[in-house]
Amino acid sequence: MNLEYKKSIAWMRENLFSSIPSSILTVATSFFVLGFFRGLFGFAMASDKDWLSVLNNMQLYMVQAYPEEDFIRVWISVGLALVFAGTSIGLWKSTEESSLSDVFSKFMKVSLAFLFFTVVAPTFSSVTDNDGIIQTEESFPMETRLQLLIPSAILVVVFFVLKNLKLNYKFNKSDLLCFYLAIPIVLLWIIKLPTIQLDSSNQRIIPDPLMPIADTTKIPWTIIFGLFLAFYFIGSRFKDSKNMKRTMSISWVLLPLFIFSWIFKKPEIDLPTILGQDIPIFIGIFLVGALTITFINNPIVEKYFSIYLGVLIAITGIALFISIPILLKSALLLLVLFTIVIPAVSSSAKGKRNLIIVWGVSLFTLSVLIRGGSSDTQIIVQQQSIFGGFSLTWLLAIFGTYVSFPLGVLLALGRNSKLPIVRLVCTGIIELTRSVPYITWLFFASVTMAVFLPEGVNFELVVRVLMVTAFFSGAYFAENIRGGLQSIPKGQYEAADAIGMSPFQKTSLIVMPQALRAIIPTLVSSAITAFKDSSLVTIIGLIDFLTIGKVIIGTQSIPVNFVGHDRENLLFIAFFYWIFTFTLSRRSMKVEKRLGLGER
Amino acid sequence: MSIIKTNDVKKWFGDFQALKGISMEVQEGEVLVICGPSGSGKSTFIRCINRLEQHQEGEIIVDGIELTNDLKNIEAIRSEVGMVFQSFNLFPHLTVMQNITLAPIWVRKKSRSESEEKAMELLTRVGIPEQASKFPGQLSGGQQQRVAIARALAMEPKIMLFDEPTSALDPEMIKEVLDAMKELALSGMTMIVVTHEMGFAKEVADRVMLFDEGLMVEENTPTEFFDNPQNDRTKLFLSQIL
Repeated sequence: MNLEYKKSIAWMRENLFSSIPSSILTVATSFFVLGFFRGLFGFAMASDKDWLSVLNNMQLYMVQAYPEEDFIRVWISVGLALVFAGTSIGLWKSTEESSLSDVFSKFMKVSLAFLFFTVVAPTFSSVTDNDGIIQTEESFPMETRLQLLIPSAILVVVFFVLKNLKLNYKFNKSDLLCFYLAIPIVLLWIIKLPTIQLDSSNQRIIPDPLMPIADTTKIPWTIIFGLFLAFYFIGSRFKDSKNMKRTMSISWVLLPLFIFSWIFKKPEIDLPTILGQDIPIFIGIFLVGALTITFINNPIVEKYFSIYLGVLIAITGIALFISIPILLKSALLLLVLFTIVIPAVSSSAKGKRNLIIVWGVSLFTLSVLIRGGSSDTQIIVQQQSIFGGFSLTWLLAIFGTYVSFPLGVLLALGRNSKLPIVRLVCTGIIELTRSVPYITWLFFASVTMAVFLPEGVNFELVVRVLMVTAFFSGAYFAENIRGGLQSIPKGQYEAADAIGMSPFQKTSLIVMPQALRAIIPTLVSSAITAFKDSSLVTIIGLIDFLTIGKVIIGTQSIPVNFVGHDRENLLFIAFFYWIFTFTLSRRSMKVEKRLGLGER
Repeated sequence: MSIIKTNDVKKWFGDFQALKGISMEVQEGEVLVICGPSGSGKSTFIRCINRLEQHQEGEIIVDGIELTNDLKNIEAIRSEVGMVFQSFNLFPHLTVMQNITLAPIWVRKKSRSESEEKAMELLTRVGIPEQASKFPGQLSGGQQQRVAIARALAMEPKIMLFDEPTSALDPEMIKEVLDAMKELALSGMTMIVVTHEMGFAKEVADRVMLFDEGLMVEENTPTEFFDNPQNDRTKLFLSQIL
């Protein structure tokens, strides 16, 4: 104990108080940091804050006006994402371990911080009243303080004792993560808060102190968490399988597409059309592609391949302009794209088999999306967009990034291209998109875009916003990626040339992987920016996560009056944003570490 | 039979003429050493042979194919001509094994297992089979250069070009790279080596050339070149370097 104490004194002397300026800096910064958290804690705990305004509006925050009878779609989407997360955590299971006393020490630190801020939290706070006069009132009275002080002090003591028992049971860090996630799920069942409801005459408010928080969601959450755990264990069984990891990575890329279409539409399925039209088209086009892959190395096929490709392109070109099912048009288009790349990638028997699987899966995905996209929806919402609240923020951030990233790669490559027309077009797109503010583009999406679309083509506002966002952040991605491309030494290009690689292979195998890895921090900060900038859509009448808290809840009077309680909602929103961005940046730091390993 | 033939090759960088008409022939299995002061155009010349630089006048015929702007010809020649660079130019994001098998798998369309077997064989040949799973950044300069040699050999080239392969190395690492090159020369590979290593030239080369200011000023067997130089420029060069 004594030695440990001496060690920490030595550490402090070395790192915090090594010289007079550093001592001043240490004192000053800790003063500011502590002051900030003290104020924050005092704000959160003040008696006039109504945190029920956050808790009771969780549904509004998450999905806003999504019809309640279709919530199952949202739950399945969330469940799927968490099942994927569980599988991934299992597949990439951490090899690090921490002992029980480490866990207790962590808990002790948290409760100690809570205790500390309870003690130092300000008793009085300034309040601006309606006339703009600042008044001081007692916001954190002694009895509240004591109510918090005693339990937290007990917790600190308990964890301190547990920590010093030096229990050395080791736990895997991934297992521990699952345990931590279980805590909020258990709390959903235990913690009880008054929930406000309307009675039968739609008038009175019945505070029911025995209702657990989130009464309607605790069962779905528990089921989802159970599935999460199950898939975590399945994943950890397969943690040495490279194929599983690869499949999982691809599934992650496809997941947002699925969730988007699943929440966006409940298509009116017309069984005869599917049986009589969609399935024959799928089978027919699939067979053409599969046969091409199988016989590509046959000398006769090789000889006439360019003629075959030409005919295929001609047929597709004609098909685009005659009236046939849109599924057939897009399937033909995919077939052409696929046929162009077949000679470059297929060689061995195993490679061919994999390629046929890829072909089948992508054609199937396309068919499902086109069928869903071209059918009418049964989900009807009385407002601009079916997405609202966090679902809208999520959609704009994730989907915007997913679309804009590949677009950015293409634009960056195009801008570096040797072909003057491609270079000109890409440079034009980038410069045009970047030189106009995002808000202007949003107005363009909401007001002007319809003028530019062909007659009869009309997109939902959300889709138009997504298109604009894709181009806008795509342009920024493109410039970042171009920076990465410039950091690749000329020797790498020469080395790739010297071993006879084609320009496509050079870009995809040598240049792009290195360029992207050099700019991971920039890419992540672009993604974070996109996530936060999505709150600007409020300007064109979409209701995002921030708007719910600031505008809607701040003026809510039914079923309970929350007018004026927008500040606690803003704090909650800030915290919510912070959790997501912080997780993202931590993940990216881990990825960087893993990729950078071999380079230094 | 001559495998490389150049005829009056000229090359300009802007106003500066780097090559002022080089005509030469290399026979199959021959080891040719090119030396000369820096800026004499020797690197530019061998980089023209696999079209990393474009010559503007004259003709270069490699293995019966003339180098023109036709992309197919260029790719065909590049897969027959291996090149080793002064600064190694290994791919830092790939392991040693992946560096070597990349071209056989993607350019020659060989199977992974076959390429890896071949790569191990080559790594054993250059003396570093135990480094296969490391990244280039974890190897010493000499080891990196030997990996670069193995990478070029993995394409089973007919000709190997070496562009000052030892200039970026510590003195004690030069030997291991030269040994690998000697072994290669003894196996009958056609090689063009731009180097300042006169010991290597004396011992291994079949012919030595001296370049100066974009011209080939002397061409001779190593014994004649070192013991009985004809040109004054050669005498000066040798007196400075030896």
